Amino acid sequence: MKKQKVNMQTEQQNDEDFLVIHELQRGLDQIETFQIQTPDLQWFEQIILTEQHRIKKKLMKEVFLFSVIALLILGGIMMSLYQMPIVFIILQISTTIFIALYIGVKHSKKVIEHER
Amino acid sequence: MDEWIMKAQKGDHSAFALLFKENYPFVVKYLLKITMNPDTAEELAQETMAKCVQKIQLYNGKSKFSTWLISIATNIYIDQCRKKKREKIWQYHEEIARKLKWHFESRNEDWNDALAALAKLSEEVRIAIILKHYYGYSYEEIAEWMKISTGTVKSRVHNGLIAVRKELKLNEEAESQYANRTTK
Repeated sequence: MKKQKVNMQTEQQNDEDFLVIHELQRGLDQIETFQIQTPDLQWFEQIILTEQHRIKKKLMKEVFLFSVIALLILGGIMMSLYQMPIVFIILQISTTIFIALYIGVKHSKKVIEHER
Repeated sequence: MDEWIMKAQKGDHSAFALLFKENYPFVVKYLLKITMNPDTAEELAQETMAKCVQKIQLYNGKSKFSTWLISIATNIYIDQCRKKKREKIWQYHEEIARKLKWHFESRNEDWNDALAALAKLSEEVRIAIILKHYYGYSYEEIAEWMKISTGTVKSRVHNGLIAVRKELKLNEEAESQYANRTTK
């Protein structure tokens, strides 16, 4: 009896949902009839060219920054190798340990996620 | 269309322009439905195109190009909403929809109760409902685009429908009360 009542309630809810969805679709269909003024091809081309130019400029800037930072790091390492070999060795060891730890932690996180 | 996409991926701006021109009304209408604001919809459509130029290499052809555009547009709108909330520029949902309502009335079309109810929902709920029940995308696709779990999408759609249903019932009751008063 109770089960039947629950079934009837869910059926009624489904019917109501169906009606609401139908109403929503009807309303949204009205937006679909809106006349959208599509700009001409030139307008689109202009936007694309501007964006492509911006991307190119950004890339050049990033490559330049990357090269400068890489040169600075490499210069520092070379200097430490010739001037302060102990600092160079400490740097190499600490970097190796850091990379090993980082990979280890990342791998263990992935395993836990898979087990879940 | 596929040929245009391939050319666009190689950097051909004319093919890009043709692709965008073809899909522009579709994207603007989608954005109009989720933002309920014609100006924002056009602004976001432009941003969607710019993003598309950046990411065209990532399009793998698994879904339709228009679907891919919708996913980008959804992401941009959600990001914009988050930024606005952070900047505490609060606008009432009803106020946002006022312009759309005005557009309807200027064309002698009825402002549908369902649209009014939809405008009162939060953006996250409105997007989920529209993508699910108007465009027919799966919960999984919507979850991926909105960067949330499938369960959250389901609950948003469910709660949103309940809110719309309540709102529609309230409107019906108000209308019937008004009709009773005028007939008396």
